Amino acid sequence: MNDTNNTTLNASPRNIAIATIVALLVSGLVLVTIILPAEFDIDPLGTGELLGLDALAGASDQPLQIQADAFKSDYAEFILEPFQSVEYKYLLDFDSSMVFNWQAESAVYFDFHADPAGLDVDIYGVSFAAGEASEQSGTYHALFTGIHGWFWENRGFQPVTIKLHSSGFYINSTVYQDGGSFERELRSVAD
Amino acid sequence: MTRLLPDAKWKIALAVTALFLLPALAFAHSIAGNDANFVQAIDGPAVFAFMYLGGKHMVTGYDHLLFLFGVIFFLYRPSDVIKYVTLFAIGHSITLLAGVLGNIQANAYLVDAIIGLSIVYKALENMGAFNSLGKFKPNTKAAVFVFGLFHGFGLATKLQEFALSDNGLVTNIISFNIGVELGQILALAIIFIALTYWRASKSYLQHAFISNSVLMTGGFILTAYQLSAWILLPA
Repeated sequence: MNDTNNTTLNASPRNIAIATIVALLVSGLVLVTIILPAEFDIDPLGTGELLGLDALAGASDQPLQIQADAFKSDYAEFILEPFQSVEYKYLLDFDSSMVFNWQAESAVYFDFHADPAGLDVDIYGVSFAAGEASEQSGTYHALFTGIHGWFWENRGFQPVTIKLHSSGFYINSTVYQDGGSFERELRSVAD
Repeated sequence: MTRLLPDAKWKIALAVTALFLLPALAFAHSIAGNDANFVQAIDGPAVFAFMYLGGKHMVTGYDHLLFLFGVIFFLYRPSDVIKYVTLFAIGHSITLLAGVLGNIQANAYLVDAIIGLSIVYKALENMGAFNSLGKFKPNTKAAVFVFGLFHGFGLATKLQEFALSDNGLVTNIISFNIGVELGQILALAIIFIALTYWRASKSYLQHAFISNSVLMTGGFILTAYQLSAWILLPA
């Protein structure tokens, strides 16, 4: 080691060669087991599936996304009595989308949120929008498989009718009310 | 490798673990999301916005940071750090400005692959791989300057992926460049302080070989990633 401003180690060529080979092997391993599955959806050793990385490659910001799930439309209409609350949730696969509009006769409290399938709701549930409104329209793109939808609560003293229209690639719809839940049949608007 | 064993075993294990975690970071280091929308929507000079983007690109750009880490690994005096980093800055300013203003297009993946290799090169140089080459040993300063050219070309290529408005283009690119330099100074200050602390401990030289091996592996991973993208993704 000299003391110019250009110091380096003086490792033996053998050690440098070994380090280089190990570096190449490790980077090759990282490429095959992690980068290819996560970034390019290529999973030669099955490690992407094992580590749950393959889902990353599926996410896409392309303008057009072709969906494998069936296209569905749904309409729901219900009355919320004063201080009554309800949740309407759709089961959406990762990377699936829906468009929606809901209208209430007068302002209600709403909370659009999503709970990942199989995970603790209290920890992994995500709320995307909450507040008082009498109407909201939008598009929603699920970033994980799970149930996605609205909590509504009537905080007024009059009954309120809420109408929900939606179309998308959801699998089913579940209603949570009065401490219980039931799967409701999807009803297309045309019915 | 005998002189590293056996106490280096766990360090190697740790280093390898760290490398496996590396891809968890957003790997494609480009201008994305809201920033991308902003860059495309802008029409006219936006000095501070572009300065911010340039600084952010540098501070969050692990490819640039890994290279700088390698460059200052054996630079003990702040004046040397300034010398080398100025060379790097001049290099990447030339190609950033010339690339965007001259509308020179290059494949972003290939440029990034070369940036990955610049990290490998620097690690090998730190290990002393080129010391036995005698008068054929590459000039360290020249190498930093040349790799600076490539890093700047990488920045230019990323900016050119957007339809940049000609209105205020020169102002915006120069602002971006100034931001890059400010971000670099900020990042370097942090790296240098951390290195200075580390150098105070005996472990520094003991671990220098392993550290540069890890650095080299990081460079290879970045290169492998970019070459895969080049081969597998549509341009």
